[in-house]
Amino acid sequence: MESDSLAYMELAIHQAKLALESLEVPVGCVFIKDGKVIASGRNRTTETRNATRHAEMEAIDILMEKWQRDGLSKSEVAENFSKCILYVTCEPCIMCAAALSILGIKEVYYGCANEKFGGCGSILSLHSSYSETLISGEVPQRKGFKCTGGLMTSEAVSLFRTFYEQGNPNAPKPHRPLVQKEVE
Amino acid sequence: MNKKQPLQIIHIPPNPPVPPTLQPTVNVYASLIEPRHANTLIRWLNQIAPLQNLHHLKRIHKRNLEGGKPELSVILCLASESETQSNSMPPDVQEIVNSYNLTPFITKVSKYAALSKEEWQEQCKLWPTSYHPPTYNIDGITGFSEEDAKSVFSFMKSTVELAKSGDHLVVNAAIIVDPLVRQIIASACDEVCSWHMQSNKAKTEACYFKQLEAFTAHADANRIARDISLLSNGSSNNLQKCCTAVSCLNPWLWAQKLMHRSPSYWHPLRHAAIVAIEASAARDRHLFPGSGHNGNSYEIDCTHSSSSVSPAKRQRINLANVKNGGEHDAHTEGSNSIVRPYLCTGYDIYLAWEPCTMCAMALVHQRIRRIFYAFPNTEAGALGSVHRLQGEKSLNHHYAVFRVVLPEEEELK
Repeated sequence: MESDSLAYMELAIHQAKLALESLEVPVGCVFIKDGKVIASGRNRTTETRNATRHAEMEAIDILMEKWQRDGLSKSEVAENFSKCILYVTCEPCIMCAAALSILGIKEVYYGCANEKFGGCGSILSLHSSYSETLISGEVPQRKGFKCTGGLMTSEAVSLFRTFYEQGNPNAPKPHRPLVQKEVE
Repeated sequence: MNKKQPLQIIHIPPNPPVPPTLQPTVNVYASLIEPRHANTLIRWLNQIAPLQNLHHLKRIHKRNLEGGKPELSVILCLASESETQSNSMPPDVQEIVNSYNLTPFITKVSKYAALSKEEWQEQCKLWPTSYHPPTYNIDGITGFSEEDAKSVFSFMKSTVELAKSGDHLVVNAAIIVDPLVRQIIASACDEVCSWHMQSNKAKTEACYFKQLEAFTAHADANRIARDISLLSNGSSNNLQKCCTAVSCLNPWLWAQKLMHRSPSYWHPLRHAAIVAIEASAARDRHLFPGSGHNGNSYEIDCTHSSSSVSPAKRQRINLANVKNGGEHDAHTEGSNSIVRPYLCTGYDIYLAWEPCTMCAMALVHQRIRRIFYAFPNTEAGALGSVHRLQGEKSLNHHYAVFRVVLPEEEELK
């Protein structure tokens, strides 16, 4: 089991490397169901100019498209997600953690923590389900998922380091050029 | 106060609001003084017992007694918070007390500077403080001009109309706007339940070309409001009763939703804000196809000031972009030379409902400047209801959040 986990994370790291080669923030992931890789994804925020195109979102869209092509119903898709395990090189951000909760994923393994944006313990803990009982019986409870960090952390971190050393060409320019301010 | 206000734009601050009457206080020693000694005493006290971290406090408290005679009291120094401990006045201050024959007493004063006029008014009941309205560089926190408020109202009305423009279900709607030219950048509805993949793509394409024309036509908010052909004119209170299809209100509902007909395509994460972000990114790629990072642009180091309070960061910026001139100039000229924005920097988004956590974080990533929403989302909202992302200090971007109270809703009360 342990070696399986490492092998899956290895695949996620490979995705992150592909991102790095494309000058993207190096994060990668794979979705596992019944012991098989069913989708992989890597960050595409620079290419798409859409900062929400994180590795997880990419992989989720692949799955959604595939399952609908296969004619799966909503409940079948929901059931599939409830059997999925995600391996991702960096702790899912708040947006992705919220998305994984919405989909009702079973479990997440990640590499390094995401101290700025992390939604699985670092900033918010969206993976821990709320036990509060909601008033209306129709309203489904928000779903939590099991989450374990620290898998191949150093590999994940070293990719980030390489990325930031080569400089992020996509970094924002200040809204107003501050060169002027320095002249004052 | 305001008897009839047609439109209200309420700033939703980064910190949860504290009722003005429950603001934290600290104890200080104060004493009545002779008015003729006021100047000398203040000078002395500011030297020997400066009010560090309490700069919002006025040193002197002036009360007008009957007959117009003023009564002055002064803050001597901080006092212990425990009731029993007494001799905590520094010797220097004690000396002043003795030589001017003062009778110190302990009183409560506000611990922090007021963040709103209401807080300030409440603080002054204890001891006078000074109040400086916030001066962040995000427009609107300090209030809206009549013209800006009109524009905000107009875009919000369009958004709410868009939310109910669907077949028969009310959904969430999002409109991304460039506030400098009051131009719609992208608009979208929830696409969780049904999404006609092909036709939708065509629609988005058509939208870009309309945008291109509009750049030269210099659209104003009123025209945009008319442009979005508003089918229904029902009031917004109807909207709140039948909002089960609004994805952000209960993002977990998707799997259980019963559909009478099978939609051509559906996706549990295609909330309005996410779709709008996608459309704005597509527009960016369409308008600026070549402008990626190219080899011959060189970089300079430059301190980056943002709306956040974090210490100025060193950022690499593209000199070529700076040389293109400010976005403002390019826009006000009404010329075709549009400067490519970084993601949605400088843009506003209008949402019918307060976004869920996923959407709120997506808007952080895409660097939206201001969020306006009409209806709070008490069960799943992430801008003050369940979470408050605008107050999460660790995030690298912070938008300002406003709730727009529509007049129809006002009439309900």
